Amino acid sequence: MTVRCRNLGPLWLCAVLLLCATAPADERPLNFENDIVPILSKFGCNTSGCHGKAEGQNGFKLSVFGFDPKADHRALTAEGKGRRVFPAAPEKSLLLLKASGGMPHGGGVRIPTERPEYATLVRWIGTGMPFGQPTDPTLVKIELTPREQQLAMGQEVPVRVTATWSDGRTEEVTNLARFQSNSEALASVDEAGRVTAGQSPGVVAIMASYLGAVDTLHVIIPRGEKPQPYPAVSQHNFIDGHVYRRLEQLNIVPADLCTDAEFLRRVYLDLIGTLPTAAEARQFLADGRPNKRALLVDELLGRPEFANYWTLKWADLLRVDRLALGHKNAYSFYRWIHAAISSGQPLDEMAREIITAEGPLAESPAANLFTATKDPGKTASTISQVFLGVRIECAQCHHHPFDRWSQGDYFGMTAYFAQLQKKSTPLGEVLVATGDPATTHPRTGEKIMAHPLGEPMPAENPPGDRRRELAAWMTAPGNPFFAKNIANRVWAHLLGRGLVEPVDDFRATNPPSNPQLLDALGQKLTDERFDLRALIRSICASRVYQHSAKTNATNLRDEQNYSRALLKRLDAEVLLDAVCQTTGVGEKFDGAPAGTRAVELWDSQVDHYFLRLFGRPVRQTACDCERVVEPSVAQVLHLLNSDRIDGKLRHDGGKIAELVRREPDNGQLAEELYLTVFARLPTPAERQTAVEYLSAAGTDPGRRRSQAEDLLWTMLNSLEFVFNH
Amino acid sequence: MSTMPLCDGPARRDFLRLGLTGLFGSSLSLPNLLRAEASHPERAVKDRGVSVIYVFLKGGLSTIDTWDMKPNAPAEFRGEFDPAPTNVPGIQICDLLPKLAGQMDKASLLRGFWHKNSDHGPADHYMLTGYFPAAGFNPNLTPNNQRPSLGSIVSRKLGPQGAARRAAAVPAYVTLPQTPNSSGPAYLGATCAPLAVEADPAAPDFAVPDMAPPPSLPADRLAARRDLLRRVDQLQQSAEIEANSRAKTVDVFRQRAFDLMLSPAAKQAFNIHAESDKLRDAYGRNTLGQSCLMARRLVEAGVRCVTVEHSNWDTHDGNFRGLKDQLLPQLDPALGTLLSDLAERSLLEKTLVVVTGEFGRTPRINKNAGRDHWGPSFTVLVAGGGVKGGRVIGSSDERAERPASVPHGPEDLFATMAHLLGIDPQEEFYTPEGRPNKVVNDGKVIRELL
Repeated sequence: MTVRCRNLGPLWLCAVLLLCATAPADERPLNFENDIVPILSKFGCNTSGCHGKAEGQNGFKLSVFGFDPKADHRALTAEGKGRRVFPAAPEKSLLLLKASGGMPHGGGVRIPTERPEYATLVRWIGTGMPFGQPTDPTLVKIELTPREQQLAMGQEVPVRVTATWSDGRTEEVTNLARFQSNSEALASVDEAGRVTAGQSPGVVAIMASYLGAVDTLHVIIPRGEKPQPYPAVSQHNFIDGHVYRRLEQLNIVPADLCTDAEFLRRVYLDLIGTLPTAAEARQFLADGRPNKRALLVDELLGRPEFANYWTLKWADLLRVDRLALGHKNAYSFYRWIHAAISSGQPLDEMAREIITAEGPLAESPAANLFTATKDPGKTASTISQVFLGVRIECAQCHHHPFDRWSQGDYFGMTAYFAQLQKKSTPLGEVLVATGDPATTHPRTGEKIMAHPLGEPMPAENPPGDRRRELAAWMTAPGNPFFAKNIANRVWAHLLGRGLVEPVDDFRATNPPSNPQLLDALGQKLTDERFDLRALIRSICASRVYQHSAKTNATNLRDEQNYSRALLKRLDAEVLLDAVCQTTGVGEKFDGAPAGTRAVELWDSQVDHYFLRLFGRPVRQTACDCERVVEPSVAQVLHLLNSDRIDGKLRHDGGKIAELVRREPDNGQLAEELYLTVFARLPTPAERQTAVEYLSAAGTDPGRRRSQAEDLLWTMLNSLEFVFNH
Repeated sequence: MSTMPLCDGPARRDFLRLGLTGLFGSSLSLPNLLRAEASHPERAVKDRGVSVIYVFLKGGLSTIDTWDMKPNAPAEFRGEFDPAPTNVPGIQICDLLPKLAGQMDKASLLRGFWHKNSDHGPADHYMLTGYFPAAGFNPNLTPNNQRPSLGSIVSRKLGPQGAARRAAAVPAYVTLPQTPNSSGPAYLGATCAPLAVEADPAAPDFAVPDMAPPPSLPADRLAARRDLLRRVDQLQQSAEIEANSRAKTVDVFRQRAFDLMLSPAAKQAFNIHAESDKLRDAYGRNTLGQSCLMARRLVEAGVRCVTVEHSNWDTHDGNFRGLKDQLLPQLDPALGTLLSDLAERSLLEKTLVVVTGEFGRTPRINKNAGRDHWGPSFTVLVAGGGVKGGRVIGSSDERAERPASVPHGPEDLFATMAHLLGIDPQEEFYTPEGRPNKVVNDGKVIRELL
């Protein structure tokens, strides 16, 4: 209906106004929230950089992204002494003069007079600035068409957005929708909804949003050349089917299987954060059993290092921070997580225990999470981010501009934790859920009952400890977030990239790159009763996990669709342990018993230059992004020159001292070093290089040892060592 | 004059040094380099020999309290400090900045500056790259660049200064004593990343961590190790490195690490202890002062861009107390001495100095005697490198809430800096996907500065 005044020049406006003012029968009365707010959003009037910011702009303030239509209506029609609108001659309204360039405007010309939206504003003012009726239809959904689109590189396609209203009416709102691409490099979208593919193959999501509703279109951009014929690739399990379907659409051929040695090193580092020893490597490489890869995975899942490594990961997320919790509590929380992982406690049960933890902190270590997060709002944000992969903080202050979460959702989650109190007793600190405190909407002052994300608000808060309801909802089969979030985190760890990336930012506007695979992984985890090890076993069995990192002509540029193994920088703790293991000299950490490995440290605050330099998280937020894996020159310099590492290389009790004593033959020595550091045998050429270098020492044992130290130094500084491949 | 993308220079040199056997798979090998040049030949620069020191006052300097005071504004705007004359008649700045006031003839103030963002993350990116970030920006990443930082552009187009460039004696781009998240190279690649020196030049034992091999290691052994490393690292020579961005970056960084380790000039440049106590005292014995001194040393040695980040200027609470007791007593000697020191060494004409926060602060004082974020009006200080000193360009309104003149924004600042450095602001860089991106989008060179 907004199209009535479209394409009419300013000269015609008066005539149109007359028509509008008399509201012909087919002219739908305008509704402020449905018809006017989207215009203010589309043209950027209510962004946080303009009138949407907290203090407004030159005295004119709108709610950011239009989350508060009542206040915006008041701002336009009543505030500023009513000078912003002039119903007798709408086009003389300050609002329109400023927006269309008829008067100087700090924000420039926003809505030219020839735009249909200009005409809509004229009609709205001319008809007395109606707010609308409570009975006016509300938006049910928007639909972006087409749903999925294959585009050649450089090709363009227009998209169309259709809104469906509660009275059954549908209308095209492409002009008023806002668009966003989740990868500008792959495909861009302009404000009119025209999508242009870039010059790289891949999958990109194009999102449209309108009045808080969001819809997504997946654009698939295949490589230019189709492999002829596309080879048949075997599949190990359900994971391969989902990945290979997508790769074939993209004209990408998956990588070959990795070698046994590559698999060995990869799965050790991924599962237990530890390099295989030379003896373990020899044994696996010599093993002739056809199912030895699966057997190795089973063995690793049972090792104590598995629990240590995955406890480290969970302790990051659950914020086991000594500075926030105190020494004793942080340690007991760590031990609690360790026991859960070690015993194979189902992850849904573990989540429920954390969310509903209560009582003396000394007896209920999981309750420490509520100490780390301090207030109910922060607790709600942390729980959402860790267990659901959903970030809700934005909604504390305003409706999320590109998601469905409103302030009602945020405070609905917050209300679950409003009963929590920490009391000091002779038994120490005790966490209790008590009373029936009300949570109110900060803007409307209405009482908000506890309710889960995306669910309708009930009339009453749940009786007793409200958190029990949340825990049950979160971990019920079919919960839209929990299983997929955990599966995505595990997948990202093993494959080097999440299906949703960042892993803790599930949003309508950040869709998974392969939704069917994510669904299947979430389902698998649910079917396996939330057994972490079972999920890992499935992923490790897939052909996709066992891809070689070697590229072929078709997958050279793909880092998105799992067409080959991605190189993963070792975590700070894992890398340090690997340096210690291969040099045979351990590290001493303040406050930890001798022999403690970095992966086993419960305290993320232990001062250590290496760990800090290589990006150990500080656990001050629940964000996965705290762990930094970006390289820096300083890291490279440290591996090259650190005197601590040099001391390990040259240590009299170290690996080199031991090996040169034990292996008089240079060929054997080289082989042992390759197995120790790279978990593989040297190629004949590598062996020759190493032997030549070692032989330069002649019969001088001291020189032979220093030549061997040099060899180990070069290996520790190789990309092959620093990356899991 | 050079037509080469310069931060690839060392790689090419290294390639030649290695002969045809090494680095085959690297993106920087000669065939790839030539291919890149053939598909998108880059424009020649008119290298004027100018370097740049960018002092980034993280959190946002309150310019209404320092460089653009409003003594006649109502009390809730005016603030607690008083303006004082400078050595340029007609220009007044805060009386807590006497040393800077004595150097005002060398610096100019852009008082009609603004941009439209008041959030740290995006505003940082805007002021450090000239581009406001697009959707999907994640400020928490390190680096978070969607667009190349100033130093990365300078690395790409200019490299280190002449003599240093030929010897690859010093890096082109250094950040210290901490590295802003938006100082990365984006699509210009790892060769244009800064050397991030995460150490405090004011510390008694300041040194670039791990820049030198352990003292006990004889020099010939380092050479042997280095040679061996090239032969041992199979992965480095494989196509996987080409296809994995992080590994490729480590590969490039390793080459840069070696360049740094082997350079006596770099060693000397970073040796702040070689400065006289008198001069060190004059800059101020604190992180900001010694970082500015370090920046001068680096520029003198041939580094083309030094970004000094200093925190914390985010004075939401106790703005006046914080400025008076802590921040301004550090800023004043640091900047005042930097300008006089550069001038005395005849480096000022060839060294562009830019001092700014990511935004200014709200003119209206908040209930905590603080000021909040304010992008819509603030002042940027520029000096040297061909900038005429002693000028005030543009103005803000009577409460410093908005520019009162035709405003200048980050795009204009970047266009001006590029112009002074001899880089065409309209030049386009190509992303790995082949998309062209201008050095600056729509910026206008601020002619009044020249």
